[in-house]
Amino acid sequence: MSTGEMLDPEDLDERERTALEHLGKRLGDDEFVLAERYTEWQVRSPSLESDLALSNIAQDELGHARLWYDVLDDVGLDEEELVYERDPDTFRHSTLVEQPFPEGDWADAILRSYLYDIAEKLRLEALEQSSYPKIADRVGKIQGEEEYHLEHAQNWLERLADGEDGTGRLQEALDRLFPHALTLFEPTDPDVEEDIVELGLRTATLPELGEEWLSIVLPFLESLDLDVPESGLADADGYAVTGEMLPAVRGRDGSHTESWDDLFADLTHTYRELERDRPTKIMEQP
Amino acid sequence: MDIEEVKERAGPREFSPADDLPEEYRKAATRMIEFHANSEIMGAYLERPFIRQAPSIDRKLAFSAKVQDEIGHGQLLYRAAETLGVKTREEMLDDLANGKGKFLNCFHYPMTEYVETPMVAFFVDGAAMRRQATLRRTSWEPYAHAMDKVCFEEGFHVKHGEDILRTLMNGSRKEQQLTQEAFEEWWPRIIQFFGPTDDKSTHHDFAASVGLKQKSNDELRQAFLDQYVPKARKYGLEIPDYPRIHKNDEGRWVVEEDDLDWDEFFTIAKNEYEPGVGQIDGRKHAQEAVQWVRDTIEADNVPAGGQPPQAAD
Repeated sequence: MSTGEMLDPEDLDERERTALEHLGKRLGDDEFVLAERYTEWQVRSPSLESDLALSNIAQDELGHARLWYDVLDDVGLDEEELVYERDPDTFRHSTLVEQPFPEGDWADAILRSYLYDIAEKLRLEALEQSSYPKIADRVGKIQGEEEYHLEHAQNWLERLADGEDGTGRLQEALDRLFPHALTLFEPTDPDVEEDIVELGLRTATLPELGEEWLSIVLPFLESLDLDVPESGLADADGYAVTGEMLPAVRGRDGSHTESWDDLFADLTHTYRELERDRPTKIMEQP
Repeated sequence: MDIEEVKERAGPREFSPADDLPEEYRKAATRMIEFHANSEIMGAYLERPFIRQAPSIDRKLAFSAKVQDEIGHGQLLYRAAETLGVKTREEMLDDLANGKGKFLNCFHYPMTEYVETPMVAFFVDGAAMRRQATLRRTSWEPYAHAMDKVCFEEGFHVKHGEDILRTLMNGSRKEQQLTQEAFEEWWPRIIQFFGPTDDKSTHHDFAASVGLKQKSNDELRQAFLDQYVPKARKYGLEIPDYPRIHKNDEGRWVVEEDDLDWDEFFTIAKNEYEPGVGQIDGRKHAQEAVQWVRDTIEADNVPAGGQPPQAAD
């Protein structure tokens, strides 16, 4: 569908700008909010070593959020508009990343990371040939870091699934998280989503990404003796995300679970309290 | 080696695990390093909420990295303490959770607002830097070695704190006022960071005689005041009226000891100061919530962590 032509950042029409904005936000918001949740584990992980590992991952994701948000500088959006002064109902992240962690639920943190990291791996592959140069250029740097995240999640999953306590907790987390994970493949807006692919900003459709994700995630989780909800997903035509598997709110369209409002209020508290009008930049280039 | 020989030989990086050291030395060194390691952990605990509350992505990243560094320092220091053969890391972490482990006075006070963060990240860390720099010459070689890395990273932390202070003091009137209020609240605690004066210090003589401690509390505090009173003023902070401080004939800052609340300090030192007890229990609670993971891993006999220890060098 893609014309194979590169878009010119200096000369974007309305349709291109909107598509770029939606794509940049779904990428950046996912990373930003997930990182925000990961940092809750700092100083609270099971060991000093796992603390260091998760801190690394959180900082990587924050760095990626900064890279994606910076792409949106091209359509005139700054950090205050993208985060600190934004209406929380316009955030485009998947509801998977905004869920609070039940206290001490390391199984949730690890499983969430796995579900997310597989999806991220696939979508990064679909951005390698993006028609937007700044996106294509940044994929490699992010992929380099994501490899370690996935390895970390898989190692821990295997270790936790080895014990009875761990398996039980993983199963609970899976039942809770799985519907939210499926929203990773929901459109922000069906028409704009079509444009994202037609313009070649991303080279795979969301159903294609969802199908591939299911074909990787389901067998792996089943190999750990976990029951995947709705595991009749694989029919004659292969895997597919269907409407009835999704939660009531889908994140991508701006609808969110309650916990998002609390999280947003918390993370903008200082900015509002000090009556700031712009976030402090330390680095000029992300 | 007997204690007399230890005292005779005591010098920078003089002793290592290869030496047969008397229990008195090993216990004193363990107490000192354990205190230091515990302080890293409790400092990180105090600052963690500000990863979320930081008012920009860049600041958020810096806070996350700083908290991570501190956990790394804790890891490194517990390892240096373990080499003395007195306590294991597990025992030290358990003691910290159970309220037996001791740590810096400043980290017993809760921190609720962002304007307080430079009080720790600039002043307390600046004070810590002074002490840590001298510990690169401590007689227990693994401790001195750990200090090389810790000091390097602490330099960045102080810069981070200084930058936050500079931004706040160049901000709106409201920001400046709130920052001044936070400074007034934290200033006496910061002065007490170095502990009681030498004549009232419990452990100083022995630790100094065996080369563990390189500088006395008085010397360190003096050097800190000489450097940080001008810095505070440079950023527009006013030094509070109490505790009274004045310059003596040699141009050095002198504090009225009686203006400092030493009862509170010693209550803190015993881990009996109420707000501090809350912080210790809060951390204990968080640790208990993930006990099941440690149990799972231990049953499995796999070392904890998903990667080689970060802070190892």
